[in-house]
Amino acid sequence: MRPQSRIIIFCGKGGVGKTTLSLALGLFHAAAGRKVVVVSSHPLPELAVAVSLEGLAEQYPAAAQNLYVVHLNSKELLAELVRNNFPVQWVARAVLESEIYNNLVEVAPGLKEFYFLARLQQLAERHAAAGEYPDYDLLLWDAPATGHFLGTLRSARAFETYLTGPLAAAGAELARFFSNAANIVLLPTTTLEEMAMQETVEMCRALDHDFQLKPARVLLNLVSPVVDAPEEEVERLARQSEESSDPALRFAVDRGLMERQRAIEMRLDLGVQTVAVERARHWSSDLELLAQIGRGLAGIPVSA
Amino acid sequence: MKVTVYIGTGGVGKTSVAAATALAQARAGIKSMVLTTDPALRLRTALRLNGGLLEQQVPLDPPSPAELWAGLLDVKATLDEAVRLYGAPKLVDRILNHPIYATIANSLAGMQELMAVERIDQLRKRGFDNLVVDTAPSRHALEFLDKPVFFANLAASHWVKLVGRSYKFVSRTGLGALGRKTVDLYARVESILGANLVRQVLDFYSIFVSIAEGYAERAEKTVALLKDPAVTEFRVVTTPQKAMRDARYFTDAMEARNFPIGALLINRAWQPVPGPESADGLAGRLVDWYSAVREAQYGEIERVRREYGGRVRRIAALPELDRDVDGLEALERIAENLALDRAAQS
Repeated sequence: MRPQSRIIIFCGKGGVGKTTLSLALGLFHAAAGRKVVVVSSHPLPELAVAVSLEGLAEQYPAAAQNLYVVHLNSKELLAELVRNNFPVQWVARAVLESEIYNNLVEVAPGLKEFYFLARLQQLAERHAAAGEYPDYDLLLWDAPATGHFLGTLRSARAFETYLTGPLAAAGAELARFFSNAANIVLLPTTTLEEMAMQETVEMCRALDHDFQLKPARVLLNLVSPVVDAPEEEVERLARQSEESSDPALRFAVDRGLMERQRAIEMRLDLGVQTVAVERARHWSSDLELLAQIGRGLAGIPVSA
Repeated sequence: MKVTVYIGTGGVGKTSVAAATALAQARAGIKSMVLTTDPALRLRTALRLNGGLLEQQVPLDPPSPAELWAGLLDVKATLDEAVRLYGAPKLVDRILNHPIYATIANSLAGMQELMAVERIDQLRKRGFDNLVVDTAPSRHALEFLDKPVFFANLAASHWVKLVGRSYKFVSRTGLGALGRKTVDLYARVESILGANLVRQVLDFYSIFVSIAEGYAERAEKTVALLKDPAVTEFRVVTTPQKAMRDARYFTDAMEARNFPIGALLINRAWQPVPGPESADGLAGRLVDWYSAVREAQYGEIERVRREYGGRVRRIAALPELDRDVDGLEALERIAENLALDRAAQS
């Protein structure tokens, strides 16, 4: 049996490209022969995923065999729990169809998040039922946007603190698992826009403070070629722009320099290395775009 | 009553576009309020929503012919107000201090939308009948329509009424009072979810039920109102990169609910810049990159117009502003761009 896997988490503000980057990294490693499971927990990207991976089997047959996108639907997880607890089919059905059950599941605070986390932990520890998921090499979690992501992680602790009994014990164990840096590779993802950056810094502080988790790298998505250019080239660029009367150049340069400054501030602020992902210029399909981006993510450390 | 609801995924500039829409209405002589969830600091400052203010008239220079208001869609504050307004006086404190209450107010998925509906109702009664609503990011965008109905069903459910009202009685005398079938199910559900969790929720509902019932009634009315296309217009905000994907998702999702999409606004479209003189080195790479990205964006916008023009009433591209959206000035410019597009269409 393989050892427990680390969970590679793509987290950050909504709309910064978590789904795209997680699929790109998954595609890259799958094409290199590793078995990859990408866990998605939010509904909208289901469609994004389907669109993005259109043509996978034809264009990247090797990757197609190794890449699994799993949507862990927490309501379905609970239904499964009910079925396992009541082996007699009609009893399980009666519970699942009852008003009591459906209302409680919907309103019990944090319950769905709690079961989602529990399932993710099972998957990481390879306790999930045999044959249900492939025996994988890499486990990626395309997490929901910051607020819901932190809420999901906190649901474990909430169960630990406001309840007693078996659920509280399970909550304590989950809280420990997700506070253990040995189990987690954190990849906060952001664009270099003010709001996204601010949210990313706050999220990183909360993750450090509440869960003692520090980012492995911060991914800077959709940036210009200026962010990662060598210092002397940038100085020359700034001079060129000052001397130039070309509005196109000045506009692009101002923007590029501002982003570069923000990237530097973020590195200093969080004391973390960043990986810049340039906004793509051309792509023939969403899938080809993912492959392009994936090659740029090759240097991200994914294992312990 | 006129409600404009903005939906869309995160990071597309929904809040700014919503605020600009309300501003454009105020400038056109219609008293308007924008309700927003969590504006960025600078936008919050521009709208004068600092210092814990729930709502505020926004001073404009030059003044607009009609008032512009901005309101924060704060879940906890809205729920607190509902409890104070509709709760029995002796229960108010017990509810506000119940452990489940805090969790419900802060973490219950979809609470945002439930409270948006509650807030719309509160505002309508105070004479605000032209509202622009900026919904929470994507994951629950459509729950704005779905969730309140659910909650209304929940509060109306015989079971919740029964258990809610009789909980104290039941906790003293056992579940026998509930009837055989209900007890069976109750016991089974309890064995799955854990007795503590279930009892905490029930205990909470036993005191919350009167408010939930009142809420259900109001929510039903408000949702009925919101479901009338003559009252509510849903508009999607997206960006050029996401435009095709979002157009597909939201047109399908809204058509499945029999609701037309009033507008698809493709925000932050990079502007064409006069052809650069040839530049070398990093400058050359940068300008090439900028033009290539811009071209790709316009390709996407054209595709959306071709493929969705027939299913969405209005498709508009809004230009990216020079700097990050900053304050009222940025809102004024977005408002102008919205108006320009509208004029071009009519």
